[in-house]
Amino acid sequence: MIRTENLYKYYSSHVRHEVRAIQNINLNIPRSSFVVFNGPSGSGKTTLLNVVGTLDRPTEGRVFMYDEDITAFSDIALSRLRRGKIGFIFQDFHLIPRLSGWENVSYPLIPLGIDSKRRYERARELLEKVGLGDRLDHTPEELSGGQQQRVAIARALINNPEIIIADEPTSNIDEETSGLILEILRELKTRGVTILVATHDASFEKVADVIYTLKNGKLL
Amino acid sequence: MNKHINLLLLATENLLRHRAKTIVVCLCIIAILAPFITAIAISEGIRSQSQISVEEGADLYLTFDEFGRNAAIPLKYLDEIKKTFGVTKVVPRVIGRGFLQNKITVIVGIKKDDIPESISCVSGRIFENPNEVVVGYELANHFHLHAGDQFSMRGQQRKTFTVVGIFTSDSSIWGASMIFMSFKDAGELFGKQDVATDMQIYTLPGHNSEIATDLYDILQNEPYRIQDKHMVEVYFKKGFMLKEGVFSALYIVAFALGIPAILVASGFGLSERKKEIGIMKATGWNTLEVLELISFEQVLISLLGATIAIIVSILWVRVFNGIFLAQFFIAEISLLPQFTLPARFLPLPCFLSFFFAFILTMVGSVYSSWKASTIPPVISMK
Repeated sequence: MIRTENLYKYYSSHVRHEVRAIQNINLNIPRSSFVVFNGPSGSGKTTLLNVVGTLDRPTEGRVFMYDEDITAFSDIALSRLRRGKIGFIFQDFHLIPRLSGWENVSYPLIPLGIDSKRRYERARELLEKVGLGDRLDHTPEELSGGQQQRVAIARALINNPEIIIADEPTSNIDEETSGLILEILRELKTRGVTILVATHDASFEKVADVIYTLKNGKLL
Repeated sequence: MNKHINLLLLATENLLRHRAKTIVVCLCIIAILAPFITAIAISEGIRSQSQISVEEGADLYLTFDEFGRNAAIPLKYLDEIKKTFGVTKVVPRVIGRGFLQNKITVIVGIKKDDIPESISCVSGRIFENPNEVVVGYELANHFHLHAGDQFSMRGQQRKTFTVVGIFTSDSSIWGASMIFMSFKDAGELFGKQDVATDMQIYTLPGHNSEIATDLYDILQNEPYRIQDKHMVEVYFKKGFMLKEGVFSALYIVAFALGIPAILVASGFGLSERKKEIGIMKATGWNTLEVLELISFEQVLISLLGATIAIIVSILWVRVFNGIFLAQFFIAEISLLPQFTLPARFLPLPCFLSFFFAFILTMVGSVYSSWKASTIPPVISMK
């Protein structure tokens, strides 16, 4: 389902200061698998997920998704891919501060032309599922880190994605919420969703189908 | 269609959520556009009134010429001019300036029957007897003059005039500081008998050039000057828009300062916006949708700013009578005009104002938004 060929990502255009974030990464991830990427900080986990998840472009190499070379996709095609297939969960949540919980969750539905009432219903449904049915109108600053991450998960699920990409989803939250997030991801996997997680959390490794370890941008 | 409605509604919500930014951008737009719209309205008002005055006036204006300037013409030619073929009426006038206390006034000496139709008495009557005058409404208001009051012009105390009527005119600029009196009284006031400052000649259509030739025969040994409606209109505008260029220069300076202000204000919260755009892109929005949302926001804020600017301009003219601005268009008036300022609000300048506000706000926001939405989302979100 997801395949990479000789994937490289360098930062900085100056050769002397070039940072090789990932080097020669070759992956082959089948549908409905639960994949964990671990490794020390700075090993390239986040960069790899960003490149695989179309949030960033590789310097070299190719990424295939559904057997299509997405590195050749236009900006619009990539947006379409993210909208229809991929849900992101970030370490820093990346919620929009001035929006309420349900507005953050339903934000991806706005350009789909779905009216406000239906967006609200869909967001409410997902927020109830992550245990935040009573926090629909709270803005991010009125929520704890764990609650914010749950809002972010609800947002990632709003389009019924086939791939979930989670970058350190439990690093900034309490143990109880970490467990809840893991449960949600496991349940998604059982429904056929492909899960890619970068984490140090050992509990994820226990449920993973495949574990990749990165060091200095290379797969071990 | 629902998508565009959603984006429009979201744009409205965004403006309400960022109230401080919305207010600052609106204030910048108002500060730039309100003087512009007001100035255009005053300019159009003056243009319109000059048009009315010229259209209602004579077909030809005859004066003598001394040192290249208009000079008085002796009345001895009056009968001969009247007999010229094509001439329907000749109205000799004495027009001069004098001070009533410290206020400059325009004195018009004319035969009672020749007073223009656009002049109408709001109280009292037209002069009939010697030393009777009719005073413009604004001038009467300024000095609290009523029918029966008497006054003398400064430096010419030998004549005392009695106000017998107060008039208004379709042309408020003209009527503002005007005093009508008989031709004889005006001659006596200025110490010039048997001359007119000009003669208004009304003609049959298409006869102006023939009449000009006849006048050459009548006045062959005299230096004279004849002006038609078009020339009068040009002089009229020149007179009233004497300082328009000063306004234009000042406005360009203010404008040059205002544009960066709008650009800065439009870009307030740019880093927050950039991050938001990154999140939008990461969650499936495409660049066109992001730009459509930003454009809707700018359209709404421009509409709001331009609409308020137009309302401020209307208040500026109608309530505050063009205070501070009128003096740039009408020479020799105070900061606050003592007469009803002519103004016309035409649709085109109002539309241009909106368009202009839109362009300014777009320049301030669209480029940065476009840039944020075309780089990889992971960079925008940092």
